[in-house]
Amino acid sequence: MTETVHQEMAEGVPDTHRPSRVKRRKGWRRSPDEDRNSLIGQHWLTPYLLATPAVLMVLALLAFPALYATWGSLFATETIGGEPEFVGLQHYGDLFTDPDFLWSMNRTVVFVTGCLILGMSLALAFAFALNKAIGGLRFLRGLTILPYVVSGVAAAVMFRLLFNEDFGWVNKALGLVGIDGPAWFVSPTLAMVAVIVAQVWTDLPLAILLILGGLQTINPDLLDAADVDGASGWTRAWRVSIPLVTPQLVLATVWFSYSTLTALGVVLALTGGGPLDATQTLPVVLYETAFRNFDTYPALAIVVVVLVLNALLTLIYVALGRRWDIGN
Amino acid sequence: MGHRKLMATQTHTVNQQKDRQINQVLKAMVRLLKKVWVWIPLALLAVWTIGPILITLSISLKTRGAVFADPQLIPQDPTLAAYRDVITRPGFREAFVNSLVVGIGTSLLTLLIAVPAAYAFARFRFKGRHLLLLFTFLPRLIPGLGLMVPLYRLAVAVGALDNRLTLVVVFAGTILPLAIWLLVGFIQQIPRDIEEAGNVDGTTFFQRIRYIVLPLSVPALFTIGVLAFREAWNEFDLVLALTRSPDARTLPYELFLITTGTGLANNPGQAAFAILTLLPFIFVYLRIERYIVSGLTSGSLK
Repeated sequence: MTETVHQEMAEGVPDTHRPSRVKRRKGWRRSPDEDRNSLIGQHWLTPYLLATPAVLMVLALLAFPALYATWGSLFATETIGGEPEFVGLQHYGDLFTDPDFLWSMNRTVVFVTGCLILGMSLALAFAFALNKAIGGLRFLRGLTILPYVVSGVAAAVMFRLLFNEDFGWVNKALGLVGIDGPAWFVSPTLAMVAVIVAQVWTDLPLAILLILGGLQTINPDLLDAADVDGASGWTRAWRVSIPLVTPQLVLATVWFSYSTLTALGVVLALTGGGPLDATQTLPVVLYETAFRNFDTYPALAIVVVVLVLNALLTLIYVALGRRWDIGN
Repeated sequence: MGHRKLMATQTHTVNQQKDRQINQVLKAMVRLLKKVWVWIPLALLAVWTIGPILITLSISLKTRGAVFADPQLIPQDPTLAAYRDVITRPGFREAFVNSLVVGIGTSLLTLLIAVPAAYAFARFRFKGRHLLLLFTFLPRLIPGLGLMVPLYRLAVAVGALDNRLTLVVVFAGTILPLAIWLLVGFIQQIPRDIEEAGNVDGTTFFQRIRYIVLPLSVPALFTIGVLAFREAWNEFDLVLALTRSPDARTLPYELFLITTGTGLANNPGQAAFAILTLLPFIFVYLRIERYIVSGLTSGSLK
């Protein structure tokens, strides 16, 4: 007891975030100094009781499914509804030798990469522009999050109309510069482009806000100093602003890949995986295996693949966030 | 000889003058461009964000034929026929009501569970606090897509398939980490002296939460309510997995069924449906926009 007090005095203000090393007395607290962060007169059980519903919910809805998927992916049935038999890692072996599954991995990589390139370029350009928007133009910031309230399916409907061969505005715009607008959803390559554009549209607001948040914390003196030294606008952007928002850029990139890797609604509603399986990404394959072919156990193996990929991304996210002291 | 030299000098000066003029024009253009270049991305941003919605709105106000015959953004003969078609269509009203019920239910349940948990994490230092807090963030590792099959199997096993309550519970679970995260930060900023004062005055624990903590956290509660409602209103993957009939099906699934229907596409109908799914946000957008931005930028990405 005295030891701790001395230590705290030696360190100056006691660190409230470090759990106190004082031996906790069970029952009602009497002295507020015993633990600065507890209100006086609270029973020690109170915080546990308060947190219980949340923890139970996480346990039932999230921990259980993850464990169930991992365990269930080791089983198989002879016929639909038959008795499941233990088959070990057989489904995983099947998946990674199945040309259809490998094709879908290929499509997923193309889709995610495409979304990242388009999304991050737009997010960066728009965030820079919004950072300069002052006065009456501030309303544009509020406008930015508009796609955030549009569901993936509704966005798919909008972009189906936009990319329509006959009356779509994309082809109208192409016509203005003398290009004959193609049939977007017939060509495998162009269908992928359309899906990427629609997905980026729905996901962009968060990336813009994140980067804009970083830009707004930059000390204007730094930019002024660069200005005095004769740096042009582009130089200032590349040499001062962008290095300073690198943490936000990295997090936006990781989040963007996380979000596009698991994107089902836009793809399914816009192309359904076609044409010629060109947009058959991992989520679409998962949906079809589980809910069209009802191959539950192989589908669980795909779930595990998705979860592992996600966990890897999240680990990167957390590690980077800790390194730059943002995000988590 | 000298004459020729003079002429050469004259042409030289004329050329110099021309060069100077061109230079001046170029400089003026560069200056103009410097002023305008900020505006180009802003204009692009406006077009990129509102364009798809405006064009969809325009198509929703045309007849099927006019979509092809009348290419203008502002329809020549605007009609609400497509909206009437959608609203009178079997399944739409049920889906709309389901979406509202599930959305409001998710907001309330999220708050009901997040407030006590966040209060515990913000105001108490208890054994295992960090571990438990980390544990409530576990859902962020698992996307809705990964939950589809396991939760479907679970719902079948306990007979909870095709039930609005199931959707409410599941959606509240997925939004919970974000909600707790926002609230913990917010409650920690409320000076604890206010509560200590209340404590001295002899209020009970629940009175302090009811009369001190909750009124002071209204902005955070509102933000969480809106984010939870949006999550439930727009969620597609889990609705696809957990509903089978119009009893519990929400709007995105209903819209999906229309778009995948066979036959000639009813373009104005689909457009009108998509616009109608934005309805609850159109009225409150200007009010909630500020909260959404602050909620999403305060360190958490969903």
